[in-house]
Amino acid sequence: MNSSASKVFAAADTVSRRTAELFKEQQQNIIRHTDRLFFWLMICQWFFAIGLTLWLSPRTWAGVNSQIHPHVWLAIVLGGLITSVPVLLALTHPGKTLTRHAIAIGQMLMSALLIHLTGGRIETHFHVFGSLAILAFYRDWRVLISASVVVYVDHLLRGVFWPQSVYGVLYASIWRSLEHAGWVMFEVTFLIISIRTSLNEMHLVAERQAKLEALNESIERTVAERTMELTQENMERRQTEDKLLKNQAQLAQAQQIAHLGSWEWDLVKNKVTWSEETQRLYGRTPEENGVPMENCLERIHPDDLPQVNKIMAESLRTHQPFTCVHRAILPDRTERVLQGRGEILVNDKGEAIKMYGIVQDITEAKRAEEALHRSEEQLRQSQKMEAVGRLAGGVAHDFNNLLTVIEGYCAMALLKKEEVLPILKNIEEIQKASERGASLTSQLLAFSRKQVLQPRVLQLNEVVHGMDKMLRRLIGEDITLSTIFEPSLGRVKTDPNQIEQVIMNLAINARDAMPRGGKLTITTSNVTVDQKSHFRNRTLEVGEYVMLAISDNGMGMTDEVKSHLFEPFFTTKDLGKGTGLGLATCYGIICQSNGDIRVYSELNFGTTFRIYLPRTDATSESITTLDSEDLPTGTESILVVEDDPAVQELAVIILRDCGYQVEKSNNAFEALELMKTNPEFDLVVTDVIMPQMSGKDLYEKIKKQTPHIEVLLMSGYTNDALAHHGVLDEGLHFLEKPFSPAKLARKVREVIDAAGTPRAFSPNGANGKSR
Amino acid sequence: MINTSFLRISFCALWLLTVGAGIAVMLNYQNTCGSVGTTPEHWPSKTQIALDHNRDTLLMFAHPQCPCTQASMEEFNRLMAQCRGRVTAYVLFLKPSQFSNDWTRTDLWRSAAAIPDVTVQDDIDGALARKFGAETSGYILLYDPRGQILFKGGITDSRGHAGDNAGESVVVSLVNGQNTSLKQTPVYGCSLLSKTCPQPGTVK
Repeated sequence: MNSSASKVFAAADTVSRRTAELFKEQQQNIIRHTDRLFFWLMICQWFFAIGLTLWLSPRTWAGVNSQIHPHVWLAIVLGGLITSVPVLLALTHPGKTLTRHAIAIGQMLMSALLIHLTGGRIETHFHVFGSLAILAFYRDWRVLISASVVVYVDHLLRGVFWPQSVYGVLYASIWRSLEHAGWVMFEVTFLIISIRTSLNEMHLVAERQAKLEALNESIERTVAERTMELTQENMERRQTEDKLLKNQAQLAQAQQIAHLGSWEWDLVKNKVTWSEETQRLYGRTPEENGVPMENCLERIHPDDLPQVNKIMAESLRTHQPFTCVHRAILPDRTERVLQGRGEILVNDKGEAIKMYGIVQDITEAKRAEEALHRSEEQLRQSQKMEAVGRLAGGVAHDFNNLLTVIEGYCAMALLKKEEVLPILKNIEEIQKASERGASLTSQLLAFSRKQVLQPRVLQLNEVVHGMDKMLRRLIGEDITLSTIFEPSLGRVKTDPNQIEQVIMNLAINARDAMPRGGKLTITTSNVTVDQKSHFRNRTLEVGEYVMLAISDNGMGMTDEVKSHLFEPFFTTKDLGKGTGLGLATCYGIICQSNGDIRVYSELNFGTTFRIYLPRTDATSESITTLDSEDLPTGTESILVVEDDPAVQELAVIILRDCGYQVEKSNNAFEALELMKTNPEFDLVVTDVIMPQMSGKDLYEKIKKQTPHIEVLLMSGYTNDALAHHGVLDEGLHFLEKPFSPAKLARKVREVIDAAGTPRAFSPNGANGKSR
Repeated sequence: MINTSFLRISFCALWLLTVGAGIAVMLNYQNTCGSVGTTPEHWPSKTQIALDHNRDTLLMFAHPQCPCTQASMEEFNRLMAQCRGRVTAYVLFLKPSQFSNDWTRTDLWRSAAAIPDVTVQDDIDGALARKFGAETSGYILLYDPRGQILFKGGITDSRGHAGDNAGESVVVSLVNGQNTSLKQTPVYGCSLLSKTCPQPGTVK
């Protein structure tokens, strides 16, 4: 309250002071203005006086002679004198008190001069009253007093010294001067009243002006405050806008990084607007922003468009958010997988007015997902193979030992046909069953890549050519076998037996795919792969390959069949007609050979398997096969090390039958002891998987102690003891179980012969002879 | 500051003094009378104008170009208004013979001509003026019917200023048959013959 009161008082004081200032200022302006007025008036009066004398009394005469009238000089000199000082002061000191009083005095003196020059005409006396009225312009009563004093003094002095010049009498009382001054004072009195009134009005005007100024100042202060507030608001708004722009830029950047764009569909105007990233994802141009939804849908893959339309229509109907994965085809024909999410905005009436959402490029994610899927599939496949491999490996050793014994004794029995003639058929069946068992075990090991490969550099044309008869017999007469060989086909390094197995399996499959006959074509060619390619989780690296293609024009396969084609135990054949291991074996063998196999099939038109094996520059190795049914013999000294008594016994019998000097041992330690006592052994035939010490360790010790003794390793399953990644270590001799007597005899002979120096242990000295 | 104000006031005081001096000069000129020649006490003989033997004869000598005589003419008009029918009045304008009549036909002539019962005529080469001893424009002479001079001088109290004056009062009184002690007043106007006038109050 006190503060308000003090403010009011302060404002009143300010107005009062300002009023005084304005009043004084206005008064000063008037005085200065009047000074200027008199400046010109007095100059004009002076010239008027001169002109007047020139008109009324230009010359004075003496008879016929004349000269300039003294009045003219009087007007010029005295008039100039009277005018000079007031005019000078008005010019140099306008507004000063002295100036206006000098003007007042000068003006009255000029009146006196004019009266004199006009011969005292009563009309000229009006100049006095007129001058007083004009002097009242100063609105300073003191000026009028000065002027009045001059008038009075003039009359007083004239009355004293030249009474007739003013009163027309030779003598006049001194009081008579008051009569003339009285008329002057009469006017001056009313002029003073007028001045006071005018000053009061001026004061009122000044007061109003001061109040107006105070009001204006208040308004201006308010305006300034408001302006400052607006400036502040503008600054804040600008900062907000800057932040918004920055956020938008960050959002755009984030969208770009995340490959995530936003969009908005104005359902009322059917106008779709989008962010820069959305524009980039759909390959749009900025000019297209705002097109109808129909135009936007042009980018959707035709196969996905119905689904997209359906999802959006459903969302529009239910007003529920939606998610939609679709492909977009860009103008450069590239394809993107995009995931869109959208929501509906409704108005107060519940009508959908806007659909907005985001779209994200999930192409890479999709690819990664597919890669992951492939990896998982590969892992699953690997795990499956590992499981089967473990199973196969677990049984292969013992199973192959059994099969070795069975097959061995069957073979030996068949050598004595006369003796077993009544049961010859039975023995042959036993032998076949044993072979199938061996084949089955081999395939299990093959597709699980647990078998030992004995790769050689070879030419596939020769391999296929060598299988020609067998293949024709295999596929039957209804199917035509055609081979197209690349004459300059490169060489590959692979296990010939395994590759034969692959060709045979594929040929069998082709045959089965052409129950009504057809054409089987085997093609070889050199292939250069200049770009990585993937198939069934395998990658075919860039490089030079030899391609072996086996094609049929059979019934072909569905995609579903193709997707499971190489899985173990998957078969489309009737129960009992296929094990489901053929193609899995092929796949395993090829993969183990660092190659790849691809299948191309079209339903009802046929299937082509293409096998890619890395080309090698090494020279071909001849494949020596002994076609003779006779077992090779020898007289060398052989030590058989086998923990399985049956296999041991069989091997000893076979080798002794072939003429060799055979000693036997149940384990490696015993064998080493024997070799110490008899270091003259030519060959040690040893099992690989043995308790206490493996055949491989025995091999190492033999090579260390008695390097001249050759070692032949035999096993149904080596558990990678002899091989790295399934490939037999360099320098090792290996015989795969189960083996027939012939295989053993040939292998033994081959190893001894390969050593180069037969050791003459045999009494007859025969080497390498067949029995 | 004080010095400046003092100088300013002093300057103004000096200015007033100078102006006062100027006014004094002005007043001095205003009150300086013209010369008067030897005026015959009795009406001279052989004059171009005749003495009225029945009443007083009033003469006024004027210079047609004299600006100061305008006041004298105004006073003469007032005088005639008071003396009409009792005097025979003449206004004699100096007319050099070498000049045309236009030289004399000025406003002053026309003013004189406009006064009733006043005869206005040229005084060729100032012959009458010399004969009557008139040397200053506005010079008044009053003769009685016998040709005896009654009054001579001016009828303004200063140069070019009309108004109450002693000369006019004296003439009126004399015409009305009253006797006055004052027989002569100074005359203010341009010189008719370029002679100085006697001081007022003295009668030659």
